[in-house]
Amino acid sequence: MDSVLSLILFIPLIGAALTLFTKTRESARMIALIGSAVPLIFTVMIYLQFDSTKAFLVFQSVEKFSWISNLGINYYLGVDGVSMPLILLNAILCPLTVIYAWGENKQPNQFFALLLVLQAGVFGVFMALDFFLFYIFWELTLIPLYFLISIWGGPNKDYAAIKFFIYTHVASLVMLLGIFALYFSTGVNTFEIPVLLEAFAGITSPEMRVAIFLALFFGFLVKMPTVPFHTWLPDAHVEAPTAGSVLLAGVLLKMGGYGLFRVLLPMIEGLGPYRSDIITLMAVLAVVSILYATFLALAQKDLKKMVAYSSVAHMGYVMLGAAAFNFMSVSGAMFQQFSHGLITAVLFMSVGVIQHSVHTRIISDLGGLADRMPKLAFLMMAGFMASLGLPAMSGFVAEFLVLTGSYLTLPVFALLAMLGIVATAGYHLWAMQRAMFGSYNEKLGEPHDLAFYEMIPMAILVLLIILFGVYPGPVMDVFEYASKIIPGVM
Amino acid sequence: MDFGTLAFLIPTLPVIAFVLTLAFGNKLQSRAGYISIVAIALSFLISVLIFLQIYPHGTVEQSAHWFSVLNVGIFIDPLAIVMLLMVTFVSLLIHIYALGYMSHDPGKTRYFAETALFTAAMLGVILADNILQFFIAWELVGLCSYLLIGFWFRKPSAAAAAKKAFLTTRVGDVLFLAGIVILYFNMYTHVLPEVGGHGTVYLLQFKTIFEHLTLIPTDQLTIITLLFFGGAVGKSGQFPLHVWLPDAMEGPTTVSALIHAATMVTAGVYLVARTFPMFIAAPESLIIVALIGGFTALFASTMGLVMNDIKRVLAFSTISQLGYMMMGLGVGAIIGAEAVGFAMFHLINHAFFKACLFLCAGSVIHAVGTNDLREMGGLFGKMKITATTMLFSSLALAGIGIPVSIGAIKLGTSGFVSKDAIILEGAYSYLHFGGAYGSLIFFFGVAAALLTSIYTFRLWFMAFTGKPRQERHAHESPLSMTVPLMILAVLALVFGALTFSPFIHYLETTYENEFFEEIDPNGYIHGLAERGGYHIPEEPIVHLDLAHDTLIMMLPVIAGLLGFIISWAIYHKRLFSVASIGNMRNPLFRILAKRYYQHEIFIELISLKFTYGVLALTGEFIDRKIVDGIIDGISSFIIGGAEVLKKIQTGVVQNYATATVLGVALIALVLSWGVI
Repeated sequence: MDSVLSLILFIPLIGAALTLFTKTRESARMIALIGSAVPLIFTVMIYLQFDSTKAFLVFQSVEKFSWISNLGINYYLGVDGVSMPLILLNAILCPLTVIYAWGENKQPNQFFALLLVLQAGVFGVFMALDFFLFYIFWELTLIPLYFLISIWGGPNKDYAAIKFFIYTHVASLVMLLGIFALYFSTGVNTFEIPVLLEAFAGITSPEMRVAIFLALFFGFLVKMPTVPFHTWLPDAHVEAPTAGSVLLAGVLLKMGGYGLFRVLLPMIEGLGPYRSDIITLMAVLAVVSILYATFLALAQKDLKKMVAYSSVAHMGYVMLGAAAFNFMSVSGAMFQQFSHGLITAVLFMSVGVIQHSVHTRIISDLGGLADRMPKLAFLMMAGFMASLGLPAMSGFVAEFLVLTGSYLTLPVFALLAMLGIVATAGYHLWAMQRAMFGSYNEKLGEPHDLAFYEMIPMAILVLLIILFGVYPGPVMDVFEYASKIIPGVM
Repeated sequence: MDFGTLAFLIPTLPVIAFVLTLAFGNKLQSRAGYISIVAIALSFLISVLIFLQIYPHGTVEQSAHWFSVLNVGIFIDPLAIVMLLMVTFVSLLIHIYALGYMSHDPGKTRYFAETALFTAAMLGVILADNILQFFIAWELVGLCSYLLIGFWFRKPSAAAAAKKAFLTTRVGDVLFLAGIVILYFNMYTHVLPEVGGHGTVYLLQFKTIFEHLTLIPTDQLTIITLLFFGGAVGKSGQFPLHVWLPDAMEGPTTVSALIHAATMVTAGVYLVARTFPMFIAAPESLIIVALIGGFTALFASTMGLVMNDIKRVLAFSTISQLGYMMMGLGVGAIIGAEAVGFAMFHLINHAFFKACLFLCAGSVIHAVGTNDLREMGGLFGKMKITATTMLFSSLALAGIGIPVSIGAIKLGTSGFVSKDAIILEGAYSYLHFGGAYGSLIFFFGVAAALLTSIYTFRLWFMAFTGKPRQERHAHESPLSMTVPLMILAVLALVFGALTFSPFIHYLETTYENEFFEEIDPNGYIHGLAERGGYHIPEEPIVHLDLAHDTLIMMLPVIAGLLGFIISWAIYHKRLFSVASIGNMRNPLFRILAKRYYQHEIFIELISLKFTYGVLALTGEFIDRKIVDGIIDGISSFIIGGAEVLKKIQTGVVQNYATATVLGVALIALVLSWGVI
């Protein structure tokens, strides 16, 4: 099939349009489920055919049509080893989120439509090989999440939605400047990403190269997000509905990391005299993110905010692995993206269930929930263990590779990053102890345990986390080949 | 049939039992425990078959590609097989005992599922053929201990103890992980160029590491081994990371028995034994192991003297006995690979008598309904089997015996034979051949032996003799509980005496066999020891006649008997009043009863005040007021400019959605139509 990527991309959009015009909740969610799940079938199909040995910047399932020809803008899609597993992640996570949100009552047609638009936007980012197209999809993802927060959000939703929108939008504009600078200073008259990346080293002024690099870097930094540009994230999470949070942390943040691997790492060798400074900058940002966000997570009173900060810390590993720039660390960082997407989804779903059944997420107001909600306690414990890096779960594989790989090239930073490991276990277990264990806090009323539609996605995610923790091969091999081919990687 | 091919089933069967028990346990109700018992019994059986097949010179080695540069594999050598036999056997007995002990607990399904997984994880540690797999299983042991210590999660103290255990051992685990990371770096830099590309050689495999140990710089080895030892300190409850172990008794007593005897704390000792070639090639590392071990042995036994909770006394005795094992390994700096034999022998004997002690304590608690020794007393008449088996295992813990050998058989309880070996053949030869801090280490060993004997018999006298201090309807436990006790008690009495010599000789072949001879024909461990700056005498220590100094030879025996007499005088005959010295006005007593204020230091000062109070809350302040403050400042300007945008917010969602769809469509249309 020649246009399978377009199918994956447009089926959710068509689904969104259909969902929007449904009258009942039942039909809205059913169409949404179909619209988000059919891409998974196609994704698995191309994943099975995917040749992982030619993995980096050698694109498969390519589609290319001229769009705005005199500017060199094309509708140009393709996948390689960097993007393929992330497309899979997006294809897995979105239908599970739809199932999780099965009970949504408030304007369900619009709610599910926005989830599908979000899915399409993220697919587009991971598939686009034309910088202009990439940017359109990159911005497209902002819109549905903005509405998800500002309509279905918590009490402080307006502030959070505006902050999210403007913060990330400003960063995107800086990135856009970088894209234009790259386009004009290479003079290749095309927005094709592979061509531009190849031409990057040919830009004569090294300062210009660094400026372009930093402009793009800023766009990705804010999206990941990296300390000190992370403060929009906890606010957005706190106000966002659970489904929005799951997709925000599960796939939207991954766009930032994807940008690092897709665009920035191939440019590293072209930085010339500034190469080591840039690497150091990345490593510093990474380690600061890991440690700072870890201690902040420890300080949080709101369970959801704690999980939000844990995302910042985990994305710090992505940055560290990228900065260390050897195949072990880079493939580990890529795997961290994939793994964190699965793990953080379980965490946000757990928190969502608590919010839904006892109407608070403030840790000190909870207590002994495991007594009344044993199923939640089981799955949440699994998610928390995965998040704190327990072996035999996917997070450990990623973090082990990042740390081991980073020690080869950035030993001091790798050791510093390890300082956060105990505190990471600390805030997870402390939260479990206060929220789930001990005697039941009778003031919370009589909560019901997980609904069937809540349990199914969480259980599937936990199984996937264990599967990829025990047998990471299917995804890891793709990433490993991809990262070995990045120019300059040792 | 080659039983080695079944080796993978040893940890897999309990994992299957875990899954099955979780899935079907609620339907089976009281029979839920049988799944785990059958699985572990089969694991034991397979271990026995493999042992019979490979004894005395064989090994089992299997390896498969995992992903990237890593493999999974199984490695069974003498060191691993004795651990396998002990863990499966002791765990089996504890599981059978738990059938009776847990019969009234509503959570017994979860209990048997988790103990099966616990056993599986420990078996995974033992079987690992590479250090990463070892670490993975090691962490799963930590997870299971967390779940089981917090088994009664509705009790706040249990939830707190579980967290404390996980976090304290986690400190050690991070050090261990750092050691692995640095080891990989060294293997990658120094060994990989020698052995060629990836795919054929796995750098973290034990055999690869042992084979190329001489290529790694010794200062790097010191760092790596000390980091490994940091992991062992956490898991095996050595000073200063021992604080979790006394609290770990919040779980069911059978869990304590598993943790203390079979499935957890021995993992640290096993780690040092498993990587012993690295330790002996690293300057200073083994001496630190010996010092920490010896100090822990003495330090923990001082606290054991004043505890009133029967399980807590036993917990401190475990810490102390683990200290002996570490000391036994540490003195390998002088006595060589034999040290592994001594330490492992004590580990096995300890497993028997400590499992027995904990199960006896469980039987007592089951009968009288309290943990407090002060409320017990005079139970001998009511619980003859428990009292007798506990006496046997107490004799073993206290190391009571006669320093006479008949042929190869040493007369004495198991604990005597192995502890005597560590103190005399180990610490004393270490001193004799001029090992650093030799007299200090020897002193630790003897002093701890005296204190051990005192608190052991204190416990026994307080529980079983004298007048009942409270009226309770104590009764003997059912057979499913007493039979495991009897088996363990017999082993605690005679296993050591019967197997000492063959055990030590078998264990020696762990690091002295054809594989190691090929690496260094002049003696693999001897060669490495010289790199580490140690000197091992040519003659094996067990063949040396150290008996020229009879008084020293008698010291462990004297310590044991003296402790018995002191306890007998104070706690049985009541020749002295305990209350006159054992009260809070006595500063020495207070510091012991307060456990050297470790709770105040570790929990309140380091965890709460510093980590949470200073680091986390300051971070929160900076984040909200400064980092986010700047952003809010900038964005309020932008938001101010966006007032216009705000005014068109009608609040009707349909408008937004329509605008969005239209907008996107419009952009696309304008762009393509305008240009094409």
